[in-house]
Amino acid sequence: MSEFRRQHPIAAVTQFLSVLRQNLIPIAIFLVLGSRNTDDYFWYFFVAGVISTLVIGFLGWIRFTYRVDGDELQINKGVLVRKKLYLTKDRIQVIDITEGLLQRIFGLVKVEVKSAGSGTDNATISAISRDEALELRALLRGEQSALQSEETVVSEEEISDQTSEVLEWRLSGKSLLLAALTSGNFGLIASILGAISGQLDQFVTEENLYFILDKVPGLGNTSLFVGVFILIFVVSYIFSFIGVIFQYADFKVEKKEKELHITSGLLERKHTTIPFNRIQALRFVEGIFREPFGYGMLYVESAGFEQKTNERSIVLLPFIKKDKLNAFLSDFIEEVEQPEFTITPPGRAFFRYLRRPNYILITAILGIWWFWDLGWIFFGFLVPATFLGWLRFNDAKLSFNGNMMKLQYRVLAKRTAYLKRNRAQVSELTRNPFQSFKKLATTHITVASGAGGKDFSVIDLDEQDAQKIINWSVGAKHEE
Amino acid sequence: MNDLILPQTRINENAIKAWRISVALFGLLLYAVPALLYLLYLNNDVALMVPIATAPTTFIIHMGLIFIFPKIRWSRWRFDVNEKGVDMYRGIFVLKRTIVPVNRIQHVDTKQGPIYRKFGLSSISISTAATTHEIPALDDETATHLRSMISELVRKVKEDV
Repeated sequence: MSEFRRQHPIAAVTQFLSVLRQNLIPIAIFLVLGSRNTDDYFWYFFVAGVISTLVIGFLGWIRFTYRVDGDELQINKGVLVRKKLYLTKDRIQVIDITEGLLQRIFGLVKVEVKSAGSGTDNATISAISRDEALELRALLRGEQSALQSEETVVSEEEISDQTSEVLEWRLSGKSLLLAALTSGNFGLIASILGAISGQLDQFVTEENLYFILDKVPGLGNTSLFVGVFILIFVVSYIFSFIGVIFQYADFKVEKKEKELHITSGLLERKHTTIPFNRIQALRFVEGIFREPFGYGMLYVESAGFEQKTNERSIVLLPFIKKDKLNAFLSDFIEEVEQPEFTITPPGRAFFRYLRRPNYILITAILGIWWFWDLGWIFFGFLVPATFLGWLRFNDAKLSFNGNMMKLQYRVLAKRTAYLKRNRAQVSELTRNPFQSFKKLATTHITVASGAGGKDFSVIDLDEQDAQKIINWSVGAKHEE
Repeated sequence: MNDLILPQTRINENAIKAWRISVALFGLLLYAVPALLYLLYLNNDVALMVPIATAPTTFIIHMGLIFIFPKIRWSRWRFDVNEKGVDMYRGIFVLKRTIVPVNRIQHVDTKQGPIYRKFGLSSISISTAATTHEIPALDDETATHLRSMISELVRKVKEDV
């Protein structure tokens, strides 16, 4: 692959679509505002915009060439500003191969090569054939033997590496279903739907409302309100259900000699390659709907070029029973030992834990009460908030040994993070005056994740313990 | 954190003056609040009492920012650089101690704004793969020395990200 190559022409279209997608909101605003304008010139602008985007997409495709030369991935691109991107093999953190819907129609894939650091650009080759992608990946991962085997074995369906023994974990259909049922995503979707329904004012006029109230017997103001609420809930639950199914259908993790391969997705298949030595930390999250059943989700933090916070972590296991986690870790991840030396917050921090969730709540309730006479009924929420504080106190736990740290804490969902000492980028101890008074401190350990950091923190630990923890990152041996 | 072993090195005392000047300048933006309220009063949106009460409050806050905080900030700031890492301790209300292990440091910069230049000060920023940390207000010589010292230490122990 030492000659420069061009992508499949469809890349011009994907480029066009991605520009559209990135500017969806401005375009929508533009359309809404513009269509109110009765003059024709608005449409000239619009058409000109679309055409120039298409042309730029096309020129972008012409300019974009790539090759692998020795240890380097070289990419030339840019329409107005020409860019040469040279990426050395040993700087690569993660390789993603995605088969998008559009690409799939043409049998193509998108390859994203991610390196660490916020200043670097990521190398995305948005449409090449699957064979080329696999060849590229093999070259960049430096597996000569794997290259040969993959070249011969590439079938339509599976990428399998038959030369080396492959350990595999698959998400069963039942688990996928449960994962979709218990994903907490619907809260997020509901809030988006709520925001949209707020925009539907023009349809929900008083006239329409009274019309409906008159026609449907037994429908009062309250029941209508409750009905809309339930409707939003149901619709967003269905959306989140479908979303999870599409995202994690046919999910599998394969263990190769030096890396993990993750494959998932129904319409858009995504293959992620994470080398073991690029794993920064592992994070097990037990969502509030999953924890009662003993299930959770496992993420990998790796230092790639992902700017968007929610996409920085890579899902390693979308749904797994907690008691099977350790077996998985020891099978798939090297050197995950469980440290036994344990630190928990001291008893004098107990009431601080109970109080903490209530501060914002009380402020908010007072605010509501000011505007609404019945606002005081929200004081009932103090009970679950205090309960949350109690759970947080019980779940805060941190342990480490010479090499590994395991920390557990709860925000709403319970999280457990595993990290190696040489992956702790920064460790920090903070305390406010109230903590100083009680000789408590909060610790933060930051690992690299995406283009930024991921912060793991345990609050209100004994100050001496907190000190031991931050000393751990620079290699001071813990006593005891 | 009295009973903990803290880093020892202080930053340059001129920091106080430099910070005072920059707060004095940037603090002028605070007066936008009473000014805006006065405009609202002209527009009959608020009573005259509102801008009248806000102006001296803003002044007091501004003076507090100039005369009290830089001093506290300076006296809290401590740091140490050794072969293990960079240890920083600082804070006004919330105290913060940060340790950056040497082998996690990606690069070190020194920088100097116009006010710092007048006092011959520079700040050092230390970047890891995840975050960036700054030690403010060191005299130029120390800053340069420290920068090369840190990069020397890093070179000795460098591992990959």
